[in-house]
Amino acid sequence: MAFVKQRPIHIILWIISISVAAHGTLALAQDQCRACHEAIGDTPSTLFKRDIHLGKGISCADCHGGDARKEEMEEAMSKSAGFTGVPKGDEISTLCARCHADAAIMVKKYRSTLSLEQAELLSTSVHGKLSITGKERIAQCTTCHGSHGIVGKDNPASPVYPPNVVKTCAKCHANAAFVRTYNPSLPVDQLDKYRTSVHGMRNAKGDAKVAECASCHGSHDIRSAKDVKSAVYDINVPATCSTCHSSANYMKGYKIPVDQFEKYSKGVHGIALLQKHDLAAPACNDCHGNHGATPPGVQSISKICGSCHALNADLFSKSPHKRAFDQKNLPECETCHGYHDIVVATDKLLGVSSEAVCSWCHGGAPTSKAHLVAKNMRHLIDSLRSSESAATLLVDEAERKGMEIGEARFKLRDARQARLESRTMVHSFDEQQFQQIVDKGLKVASEVSEEANNAIEEYYFRRQGLGIATLIITVLAVSLYVFIRRLERRQRTKQ
Amino acid sequence: MKPLWKRLYDWVDERVELVGLVEFLGKKYVPVHRHSLWYYFGGVSLFLFIIQVITGILLLLYYKSGEELAFESIQFIMSKVQFGWLIRSIHSWAANLFILAALIHMFSVYFTKAYRKPREMTWVTGMLMFFLALGFGFSGYLLPWNELAFFATKVGTDIAGALPFIGKPVMVFLRGGEDVTGATLSRMFGFHIALFPGIFTVLLGIHLVLVQRQGMSEPLGFEGEPTTERKTMPFFPNFLLRDLLLWLLVLNILAILAVIFPWELGRKADPFSSAPAGIKPEWYFLFMFQTLKYIPAQVLFIDGEVLGIVLFGLAGLLWTFVPFWDRRSSRGERNRFTNYIGIFAVIYIILFTIVGWLS
Repeated sequence: MAFVKQRPIHIILWIISISVAAHGTLALAQDQCRACHEAIGDTPSTLFKRDIHLGKGISCADCHGGDARKEEMEEAMSKSAGFTGVPKGDEISTLCARCHADAAIMVKKYRSTLSLEQAELLSTSVHGKLSITGKERIAQCTTCHGSHGIVGKDNPASPVYPPNVVKTCAKCHANAAFVRTYNPSLPVDQLDKYRTSVHGMRNAKGDAKVAECASCHGSHDIRSAKDVKSAVYDINVPATCSTCHSSANYMKGYKIPVDQFEKYSKGVHGIALLQKHDLAAPACNDCHGNHGATPPGVQSISKICGSCHALNADLFSKSPHKRAFDQKNLPECETCHGYHDIVVATDKLLGVSSEAVCSWCHGGAPTSKAHLVAKNMRHLIDSLRSSESAATLLVDEAERKGMEIGEARFKLRDARQARLESRTMVHSFDEQQFQQIVDKGLKVASEVSEEANNAIEEYYFRRQGLGIATLIITVLAVSLYVFIRRLERRQRTKQ
Repeated sequence: MKPLWKRLYDWVDERVELVGLVEFLGKKYVPVHRHSLWYYFGGVSLFLFIIQVITGILLLLYYKSGEELAFESIQFIMSKVQFGWLIRSIHSWAANLFILAALIHMFSVYFTKAYRKPREMTWVTGMLMFFLALGFGFSGYLLPWNELAFFATKVGTDIAGALPFIGKPVMVFLRGGEDVTGATLSRMFGFHIALFPGIFTVLLGIHLVLVQRQGMSEPLGFEGEPTTERKTMPFFPNFLLRDLLLWLLVLNILAILAVIFPWELGRKADPFSSAPAGIKPEWYFLFMFQTLKYIPAQVLFIDGEVLGIVLFGLAGLLWTFVPFWDRRSSRGERNRFTNYIGIFAVIYIILFTIVGWLS
């Protein structure tokens, strides 16, 4: 009775479904390749049962050639029937590209949204280079995607399903014997490090959103990290990280800020790397690690900053501030300098003014020792800066006047060096040591100023000398002229 | 009691018989006409050359040749040695004024046809001295071992290297190797202070003896005038005193230039750095340099640069030997053709120097 109650449209749909199913059964029944191979029970035919291609109506013969309608093996797998057998080496990727790079097949026939450039990108990627045999490229499509059991990348059974990617890559990249045949300096512990990272730990729990290898390195278009086009080339790293970490929508649920890239870009490191292309400046991975990326803990911040700013970190560790920071559980460098948006450390950070970071803790009692030390250190560095500026102006003036003052100009570098040293010495918070460095700079600046002043005085002396010399020569010339006139007049009179 | 100078003169006269020389000088007359002014440029050139010799010797007291020492020694001369800056500045300015005076002297002799018989040898020695003066300029330019000098020498020797057949050996000889190095500096120093002055002194001696022996050349047509109408002045003391007066004026100009526009030292040469933009040779090579830039890379089947060098070489050769092919002037006849060539040369040099300077 239920059948009777169906509306006409439902009956039509039911008939269509039955017809399609019958057509599929018919098609499958005609694929003699599968009929035989499944009867044998070999691995390819077993795996192929769940292959995405089978669902799209693609048969064994579509890749291997031959005539799938023939029951006799000799006929079905004959060369005359176009049987090509198992493709080898680069033939594999070429075979895949035959459909995957063809818009007529992929887009029109299968309504696919997959990129048509995968094979092309693979061939230009680091994996597209020739293997050690020299006969084929290093990786083929099947190296990562498998061959007969291929499923969509969102299917947990796929080797390229995000939580599975790391294992797929590690098949080769964790194999030291294999990797060293191509690049002995390439590490093979990426997976181990990755598992210690926040990304790796979440990935291990099946989080398909966190970054795995392909998220940063790309998939088909992987390039060497030294290649400027690589997503993990130093200058490109911040943008690569920001694709996820700057997306509020994507990061929803992870409860971490999404403004790191924005802050970093405005900071001293971001400006140096992204605007000045200074490869010595740190990108995200230089502080957080790359494969083992994790936020540095309070205790390790100074060690991380100290990997570049070694002297500052060393002086700080020996200073009384170290113990105070440890007691209050304050991150060492970050407390005064910030982290992602680290600004250029100017002398203004020092002292007890409202801009000075010292005043955050020592701004209160003006008679406290720390307050006085901070105040005096600022005074010293200010006086060094003004002495250096005054000396520079004098040297500039002497040079403008055409005086040779190259030696003083060269010496001026020592004054600048002393100022830079004093900025480093600030991290000792030792007034005496700091003053020694400043005094050294002040002495040099004073010597340079004296030399420049002498040169400027010499300039005026030369002008005066020229005036006197010109006058003497002119007087001599006029006298000679008068003498010649008289002489010639006398000669004319004699004649 | 005779004055001291008279006693001194007598003392020398007693031994070397100055009477003959004094009589010779006393009878020596210089023609006076509307072109007489040009006679003085020979004397000005000589004066500037003497200044070059004196300041050059003074610079030698402190200058040290060598890649590591040359620049620093000049820096030392300019900043530490008393009046070292003045000596160096005068040496550099006088070098340029010397070339300018020699150039004016050469063209004045050319246009007044003073090279004609019997003064062919005077002209040729003068031309050889002019080429040597250019050599002095080129070799001396490298001695401070600064950036500009280094690259200008590189370009200059490169051009010499483009000469057909002998170019490469000439370039290697000038550089003391394939590249401009400390060996080039030592070589240029040797040329500048020993080889060139030696040859120059001999040529100058011959040139001056010839001038004294043959006297000043008279312009064409002057010889035809009656003796009574020819104006002259005694060489000694009139002409010599006028020469002295001009020398004083030149000295004044030189002092002003050396003090107001001291010759800069620039930056030390770094063979590994790239050449600074707009590198140019000294002004007296500019017209040739600019011409080479305008000649196409290939003219028919000949390399453009080679063609330019060969043409300049031929022009220089023809110019040097003008007394031997300008027979009309030697016969005392007017030769407008040589005048046109001279006018063309002057306009060409001035125009291309200005273009080269501005470009």
